[in-house]
Amino acid sequence: MIPPSSGLIWGLEMEILYQGVIQGVLIGSTYGLIALSMGLIYGVSGITNFAQGDLMVLCMFMTLTLSTLLNLDPYVSILITMPVIIAVTAVVYRYLIQPISSQQLMVIQLTLGLMFVIQNGILMVYGGNFQRVPSVLDGDVLVIGDFAVVQTSLLISFVATWGLAGVLFWTLGYTDFGRSVRAVHQNAKAAALVGVDVRRTQLIVVSLSAAILAVSASLLVAGRPIHPGEGLHYTVVALMPFVLGGMNNLLSILVSGIIIGVAETLGNVYLNGPLGFAVPYAVFIAILIFRPQGLFGSRS
Amino acid sequence: MKFAKVTKAAITASTIVIVGAAIMALPGYYGGIATKTLIYIGLASAWNIVGGIGGQLSLGHSVFIGLGALLPAAMLLKLSVPWWIGVLCAAAMSGAIGAAISWITFRFRLGHLYFALVTLAIGELGRIIVIGTEFLGGASGLLVQYRPMSASGLQLSVANQNVLLALCFMALALATSYAILHSKLGYRLRALKGNENAAQAIGIDLFRSKATAMVISAVLSSLGGSVLARYDGFVDPEVVASPILIISIALFTVVGGAGRLWGPVLGVGLLFPLGEILRGNLANNLPGLHLVLFGVILVAVIRLMPSGITGWFASRFRSACRQIT
Repeated sequence: MIPPSSGLIWGLEMEILYQGVIQGVLIGSTYGLIALSMGLIYGVSGITNFAQGDLMVLCMFMTLTLSTLLNLDPYVSILITMPVIIAVTAVVYRYLIQPISSQQLMVIQLTLGLMFVIQNGILMVYGGNFQRVPSVLDGDVLVIGDFAVVQTSLLISFVATWGLAGVLFWTLGYTDFGRSVRAVHQNAKAAALVGVDVRRTQLIVVSLSAAILAVSASLLVAGRPIHPGEGLHYTVVALMPFVLGGMNNLLSILVSGIIIGVAETLGNVYLNGPLGFAVPYAVFIAILIFRPQGLFGSRS
Repeated sequence: MKFAKVTKAAITASTIVIVGAAIMALPGYYGGIATKTLIYIGLASAWNIVGGIGGQLSLGHSVFIGLGALLPAAMLLKLSVPWWIGVLCAAAMSGAIGAAISWITFRFRLGHLYFALVTLAIGELGRIIVIGTEFLGGASGLLVQYRPMSASGLQLSVANQNVLLALCFMALALATSYAILHSKLGYRLRALKGNENAAQAIGIDLFRSKATAMVISAVLSSLGGSVLARYDGFVDPEVVASPILIISIALFTVVGGAGRLWGPVLGVGLLFPLGEILRGNLANNLPGLHLVLFGVILVAVIRLMPSGITGWFASRFRSACRQIT
């Protein structure tokens, strides 16, 4: 046996590090996308939906049903899950949340109640076992350069996330609808005075955030098992970039998602067992100790 | 005045004795549900100190409950430390963690939403750390068997020990809530809840008031966790250290009426036994039905009686009084 040279070990170490970082950037982008859906709602109405993760899990289970009944691929079933989840979210927002949207505390409590309803509703229908949604890309990998191997599905989520974010930023920056959204975000009363329909704008933005959830669900569902109880986990994974990004700066929310994603993969690479999963949370809290308003938030 | 106080104390004491005797007389299954209801009333009252009276929706209290449940059991099993010493250690640690959480979240005025979000992340972190720590039983939990106690010829079965502990814990939590509601701290907390700017302008120290409430609530929650774990015997980290536990407790409190002394009592007293009975009968066919029901009830209560059931009755009572006079 030839003892491996230290150079080789070093190279291997670096390769693992690269691999982890790339994986983290890819998966973190999708986390950022879920956080973005929280940031959009917060930006126009000052509230947060604690059932956001559960709504996404609902989308995931819809793709499961579509896959078993109609043999649809998760990427195709977005066409069906998106309108359904938009309708559900819009009705819930319009009739349950909007009437009390000025009372933040009550909205939080109400969405926690919705979380129970959605999570356990899924449990009642699908049972408590882990399930998989088959996809055309199952097991597909791509080799980038000569140092990294990534799952094709992760690469697709990365590209889709930034493509979607690009379209979103363009819409917010350069269209009339985007201007009305930014007006409501800056000052809802003033926006109403100059003729912006605030409630309608809020409803459209909430629908938009539901659409983003449907896309993130299909992006995440490929290649990972799904479980009805995972909604809270996704909510927490999304709230971390949301808080780090200062709650309403959309670009910094996406970037913070990458930080959380990289922390997650590196934690799992370098720490064995469940404690690896604790790393992103520990990083989140450590950042808040030094910058309580988030990485990119400004202290008012 | 003095006479009124004595009568009040006597009535309270006799109620506690009667409740305790009634639960001990109940057949096993229902006696168990009643004991757990008492513990949950105590836990909800403890949460209510921060979540209701303080108006800060904490979703991280599962850390304290989990620590109180797991640490004494782990110390008893692995280090043979007497149970009550473990309980005190867990309570002290919970107090310290509560102070640390207050320091992170109350140093700057960052709002209710921020507090709820950050404490939820802390709760999830606590769950993962517990599952990853072998000493605390890891993911598989801990199983402890307690022995009947006997002192001077009187034998106390494990079930009755638990009833006594649950009663004591509930009485402690309610007495603390009562004391806080009628103390300077309570008035400060309510002033801050009403209007932080105005309260700080008249000289109320936001950080000190809220941190004090948090530490008291954390210590109480930890004690409750210990009592709960002793009742269950088997401590499952996915139950006692999961944010879902504290979200359900918060939900019970809000339904009953957050910020009121009797809110947690009524909320838990109505919903918890209902949930247990539904779960016991339907767990095989429809798991989670009781939780769906809780969610629906919460949404209905928030939209129809925003200050909870006790708040709704209180305002009804007041308007009825006004009509009579």
